[in-house]
Amino acid sequence: MHTLHIVSKSPGHPRFLECLSMVDTNDVVLLTGNGVVALADSSIEVPSPLYALEGDIQARALTPDSARCQVIGFDDMVALTIQSQRVISW
Amino acid sequence: MHTLIVIDRPPYGSWSGRESLDMAFSLAAFDQPVSLLFVGEGVLWLSQRQDASAIAQKSVERNLKAAAIFGIEALMADQSACQRFGLGDGTLIDGVETVTDLRVTMRRYDHVVFPG
Amino acid sequence: MATVVRNTEGFLENAADWTEEVARIIAAEEQIELDEKHWESIEFLRFFYKEHEMSPPSNRLFVKAVKEALGEDKGNSIYLMQLFPGTPAKTACRIAGLPRPTNCL
Repeated sequence: MHTLHIVSKSPGHPRFLECLSMVDTNDVVLLTGNGVVALADSSIEVPSPLYALEGDIQARALTPDSARCQVIGFDDMVALTIQSQRVISW
Repeated sequence: MHTLIVIDRPPYGSWSGRESLDMAFSLAAFDQPVSLLFVGEGVLWLSQRQDASAIAQKSVERNLKAAAIFGIEALMADQSACQRFGLGDGTLIDGVETVTDLRVTMRRYDHVVFPG
Repeated sequence: MATVVRNTEGFLENAADWTEEVARIIAAEEQIELDEKHWESIEFLRFFYKEHEMSPPSNRLFVKAVKEALGEDKGNSIYLMQLFPGTPAKTACRIAGLPRPTNCL
């Protein structure tokens, strides 16, 4: 069973890199809040599978590459949470 | 469901730490298992002899001494961070368990939160 | 009491203003006549505040703290509710001259 990492900090925040270093092979990462800024930053190597919250992307007028991440809504976020063994909210 | 609240910011400079403590106390009030883990600069919460009166704040050291009374299960600290900040016998408050592998520690809990 | 400043919820603005007489007057506003059981809880709360620099943040944690210090006979919500009707933590802290519990609405 995998861990869901919910990242609400942007790549400039120390917790963002700490999170990436904790992601295991089967883990899932969900970007929320400022976390979605990672999608606009071409210098960031994002993990896979990667999800990002639609509202936060729209608010910041980002146009993420669909090959890099899957854009989801709150219902999917709830489903992801339930499917995970544990949740780490960064 | 056991919650682990991770504090990685130093005390006093911002309100997020107080909010972390509020979150922990609220979970404990409803008998939800909760523990606190201090990492990085957050270990400074655990120093002995804090006196925040001159900055018109309350001592988080004294606040934390109520943790066990309120039913918070454990206070833990990252050993390497304690070493970095010179915290050990005589400087670290009593009742703190030091941990060496954060990855392993965090994966012992169902829900891990970094507040603030 | 004339010089004692209190906030809109009746808590003391200045902790140093507290006296037993002030406590009696605040209690009387709630129709509480302080007896030795009340004083025991008030003394406990004042001690708790000195030790921890905080009021117990909620009713449930007030009960837990009293239970730890004074035992199960007194650390239960019925006992404390009878002594301090309404919201026990809030009422008791107000009478004890402590700040408002943070999580009591």
